[in-house]
Amino acid sequence: MRKIWLVIKREYVTRVKTKGFVIATLMVPSIGIFTVVLVAFLATHRSDQNVRIAIVDNAGGLAEAAARSLSGARSNGKQEFAMFESIDRPASPEAVQQGLRDRINSGALDAYLVIPGDLSHPFEFHTKNPGNFALLGPLNAAANLTLIEARLRARGIRVDDVSELSRGADLQVIKVSKSGESVERGQTIGIGVGLVILLYMSLLMYGITTMRSVLEEKTTRTMEVLISSVRPAQLLAGKILGVAGAAFTQFTIWIVTLGLLLSYGAVMAAMFNPGSTFPKIHVPISLLIWAGFFFFGGYFLYSAMFAAIGAACSSEEDAQQLQWLAMGPLVFTMMIYWTVLSDPSSTASIILSEIPFCAPVLMPLRISVQAPPVWQAALSVVLLLLTTVGVIYGSAKIYRVGVLMYGKRPTIPELVRWLRYS
Amino acid sequence: MDAISLENVSKSYDSVTAVSDVSLRVRQGAVLGLLGPNGAGKTTTIRMVMNILVPDEGTIQVLGRPVSDETRDSIGYLPEERGLYPRMHVRPLIVFLAALHGLSEAEADRRAREWLDRFELGEWGDKKVNELSKGMQQKVQFIASVIHRPPLVILDEPFSGLDPVNAATVKDIMLEMRDQGCTIVLSTHRMEQVEKMCDSICLINHGRSVLDGDLRAIKQSYGKNTVHIEFTGPDTFLQHPSVAALNRFATGVEAKIKPGADPQEILRAAVQSGAQINRFELLEPSLSDIFIEKTSNA
Repeated sequence: MRKIWLVIKREYVTRVKTKGFVIATLMVPSIGIFTVVLVAFLATHRSDQNVRIAIVDNAGGLAEAAARSLSGARSNGKQEFAMFESIDRPASPEAVQQGLRDRINSGALDAYLVIPGDLSHPFEFHTKNPGNFALLGPLNAAANLTLIEARLRARGIRVDDVSELSRGADLQVIKVSKSGESVERGQTIGIGVGLVILLYMSLLMYGITTMRSVLEEKTTRTMEVLISSVRPAQLLAGKILGVAGAAFTQFTIWIVTLGLLLSYGAVMAAMFNPGSTFPKIHVPISLLIWAGFFFFGGYFLYSAMFAAIGAACSSEEDAQQLQWLAMGPLVFTMMIYWTVLSDPSSTASIILSEIPFCAPVLMPLRISVQAPPVWQAALSVVLLLLTTVGVIYGSAKIYRVGVLMYGKRPTIPELVRWLRYS
Repeated sequence: MDAISLENVSKSYDSVTAVSDVSLRVRQGAVLGLLGPNGAGKTTTIRMVMNILVPDEGTIQVLGRPVSDETRDSIGYLPEERGLYPRMHVRPLIVFLAALHGLSEAEADRRAREWLDRFELGEWGDKKVNELSKGMQQKVQFIASVIHRPPLVILDEPFSGLDPVNAATVKDIMLEMRDQGCTIVLSTHRMEQVEKMCDSICLINHGRSVLDGDLRAIKQSYGKNTVHIEFTGPDTFLQHPSVAALNRFATGVEAKIKPGADPQEILRAAVQSGAQINRFELLEPSLSDIFIEKTSNA
């Protein structure tokens, strides 16, 4: 036990002290802070400049409707579009458009909208910057309203404000669960997808770190020195746990800063915008506990798999060629998680979330979207733990044989043979 | 009780037989030279004694007990495969390796300082391993293998990469350890070191032990079958029928005499040929000669 502890300590200390670790640990929260600040800045300082727009109305009498629709204010009270001029039924449309184009090129105008003479033809939006997708929504709405107004007028109905008449209904989604009802504004999917990405990234990232760490003794040829005082299984256990310690340290720092940032953001949002529709993200404690279980189980399952690959190979190049063995199930999980998200109680979802290699990601996802029966979650945990123990045992066996094997990368049949050696 | 005893030990990898039916005893306090050409099976033998590999057949005992993870703790091992964590600092690395052998970290640190000073590496203790030269790393590795004062040390090529001054320091330390009762197994290709340090040898070739026992006795068993001659003048006498082989040097020749022949006849022939003899000495064969003879015959 003392030897395992010494290996853990060395692994942890040398890992935590590296520049890479410090940089990564600081980088992620910094990027987070930067993003939050940037988003806040953009939200409050979004381009003060309005889009200067002209309307060419070939149909006649519709420019006003379009202009009215475009004059709607944004949430921060600023105008999106500044009306430059509207030209009603120009005598020579081509010459007018040429004039507008010249003004766009000289910078006096940003864009112009063409209402077709025959309303069955498309509306045209001429702009220097077609990449500004944010404009397309209001423009589309304006075109629709103009068209509706034209049709109403054709039937002899006059209306002052078509937008008032054509405003659609809102649909509110409310999530029903045993703990009551809550208004859904995308937070369920948000939490679910967030969990999936978090689990996937961390399993992959730290799995590969573990694999490299196990390879370290071989690439630095330290193995034979160590093996004279430590049993391979002790060394393997120490390395996996040492990397895990470093990983959890890093994770704790990230989660704490993330939590602080989120609560800071929420406080700020409440202060500046009391009526904000910013959805209150409520993460149930039970979900956190389950996610924690699956994260730990999944972490050790995947690090043991990556460790086995490291144990079998003698160079990083070889290991990179074999690492798909461990990455495969993770990538597969990422490819199918959408099915589980859209129908968490289907037979396929239930089976997939019980498979130990997928469970660490899929079961927390199911729990976050629609709580499954407790026995399913519990069975999944038990299966996960049993598989983890089995994989660690197998890794230790491969390690025992592979520690002093240098040279060619073992084939998969050879790996199976190593597993049978006692 | 022997420090190491191997009884009919064999080990094969897939189709290759690395060690075949080797028996060997190393008495406590002895310095044994483990010799053999490259690929003869020395490293496999050592790894089996270290319980890194398990023999297919035969038994191995270390200090009177069958090999196990516990017997391994009483061995200091300098493997042929050298390696240190390149990004670790020197002293913490030595302390780590010593602590794995059971020393407390405080004690390990104290001894690490002592040893580093002895090898004039004192100011390198806080440097990273990859800043050290190869020879310095070699010394660090040697320190790590003996710092826990094991009753048995196995050193695979301990002098490789060392300059004469450091080689002498390592040699002195080995002799000191022997005087304190430590058993030393020395695996090397440097025959002159073996002749200076070892009191017994084991020569392995093609996985078999072809010669083992007390070095003095082995050399005596070959008899004084070599003459070292330094002379000026004609060298025709060297074609004498009693001469089996010749080895010429800058200052003279070494002539191997056919079994049963009388070396005095060669001296007589030399004098008669008119050569002026400055030195004529009967010698035991060098270990190097024995090595070459034993390994080329097999």
